[in-house]
Amino acid sequence: MSTNGDVLIQVKEVHKIFHDSLHALNGVSEEILRGEVVVIVGPSGSGKSTFLRSLNLLEVPTTGKIFFEGVDITEKQTDIDKHRQKMGMVFQHFNLFPHKTILENITLAPIKLLKKSKEEAEKQAMQLLKQVGLEEKAASYPSQLSGGQKQRIAIVRSLAMEPDVMLFDEPTSALDPEMVGEVLELMKKLAHDGMTMVVVTHEMGFAKEVATRVLFMDEGQIKEQGRPEEFFENPKDPRLQEFLSKIL
Amino acid sequence: MLQTFQKKFYTNFIEDDRWKYIWEGLGVTLQVTLFAVLLGIVIGFLIAVVRSTYDKTGKLKVLNLICNVYLTVIRGTPVVVQLLIIYFVIFGSVNISKIPVAIMAFGINSGAYVAEIFRSGIMSIDNGQFEAGRSLGFSYAQTMVYIVMPQAFKNVLPALGNEFIVLLKETSVSGYIALQDLTKGGDIIRSRTYDALMPLLAVALIYLIMVIVFTKLVNILERRLRNSEH
Ligand SMILES: Nc1ncnc2c1ncn2[C@@H]1O[C@H](COP(=O)(O)OP(=O)(O)OP(=O)(O)O)[C@@H](O)[C@H]1O
Ligand SMILES: [Mg+2]
Repeated sequence: MSTNGDVLIQVKEVHKIFHDSLHALNGVSEEILRGEVVVIVGPSGSGKSTFLRSLNLLEVPTTGKIFFEGVDITEKQTDIDKHRQKMGMVFQHFNLFPHKTILENITLAPIKLLKKSKEEAEKQAMQLLKQVGLEEKAASYPSQLSGGQKQRIAIVRSLAMEPDVMLFDEPTSALDPEMVGEVLELMKKLAHDGMTMVVVTHEMGFAKEVATRVLFMDEGQIKEQGRPEEFFENPKDPRLQEFLSKIL
Repeated sequence: MLQTFQKKFYTNFIEDDRWKYIWEGLGVTLQVTLFAVLLGIVIGFLIAVVRSTYDKTGKLKVLNLICNVYLTVIRGTPVVVQLLIIYFVIFGSVNISKIPVAIMAFGINSGAYVAEIFRSGIMSIDNGQFEAGRSLGFSYAQTMVYIVMPQAFKNVLPALGNEFIVLLKETSVSGYIALQDLTKGGDIIRSRTYDALMPLLAVALIYLIMVIVFTKLVNILERRLRNSEH
């Protein structure tokens, strides 16, 4: 039985090199514990997305290992598709399926991958839609939704797989300012319900309020980390001090 | 004037039921075009799958190489030469009727062009769609089948319609293997009546009408697809 505090994801000495020269990750080791809400901040190009995307192997590390629920997913023989079912991912640009209705967007994976019946999957989807207040959009297509609604649907689509962790890559960066709030609200609710989350974001308010831990990435490394109070009140790394002074 | 027209019309089309050359030739042309397009779609689809799988994952290296050779050869040589080679060289020693040979030749030729249509269709789908599929736990193949292909196919439908129109005209060289298609039908009448103008004009007119009609249909399809976002 798994409980809060267990190691959910373990990253060991990961390097990622693009095009034989660009060192996007430069020796990253980290553990994500069950129940944590880890927020990653850092300047543009520092490797935040690359780190997040390597957690579910959308980026394959050049060297190093990543364990998810005790299994080495960087091992060639590992069935990565099976493990990805347990790791939801939310993208900056939503990536809803435009040729499918909202309901189909949500039920596709549970039906095809978890072998749920259509009725069962739709019932679950409607419950989730109700929780985010978008039931009446079930039959709509993504193009008929606002950005904030699209992102909330994208989150619901991931939740329908009942993941053990949710990965967010700048989920509010593509949104009009007036829509950021509704997405952050939903993410806060998820955190309160105990979902393990790893979130790359520029929303420092969210980090301060919701994060259990904040990581600062710079030049492909995690340069500093801590609980939000000490991270924001008392930064030690000079690059972090400079970064915080620019954005706060 | 009118009388000479009537007389010519009579000798070219009515006498000895010569209109049948045109009518039956039209049937052959449509039959060859339709099945060649279908064959081209099958071949083109398979090649596009191989090539985009290689592009995205680096797998299927050998198959990809074979596909590239095929594309280079087919697009680098005239379709008439391909038709002649298939009929006289490949099937030279076997007794085979000409329609399947023509379908095969034009289908293999069309496949090279359809492959590029499909490939650009697949490439036009935002990589985020692919990543969303993979991150939910779909395999590469499942992501292609459930998410990428349906969108790509919709995008390339008009281009496939155009390929049909292109092929409709290209099959007019079928006469090189003595297949009696629409063009050959008109040509046979010409050789019987020694009147070139009327039968060939009729043939040209029939092609033109078909092309105009099919172009119109493709345009309607295109507009429909553009208006329905999904
Ligand atoms: N697929 C790729 N191919 C080549 N280089 C890449 C690729 N993905 C990322 N990089 C490079 O790796 C480095 C780290 O990029 P990454 O996207 O992880 O940064 P980031 O911290 O997420 O930045 P941002 O805040 O702008 O999103 C950058 O220099 C980027 O240009
Ligand atoms: Mg990024």
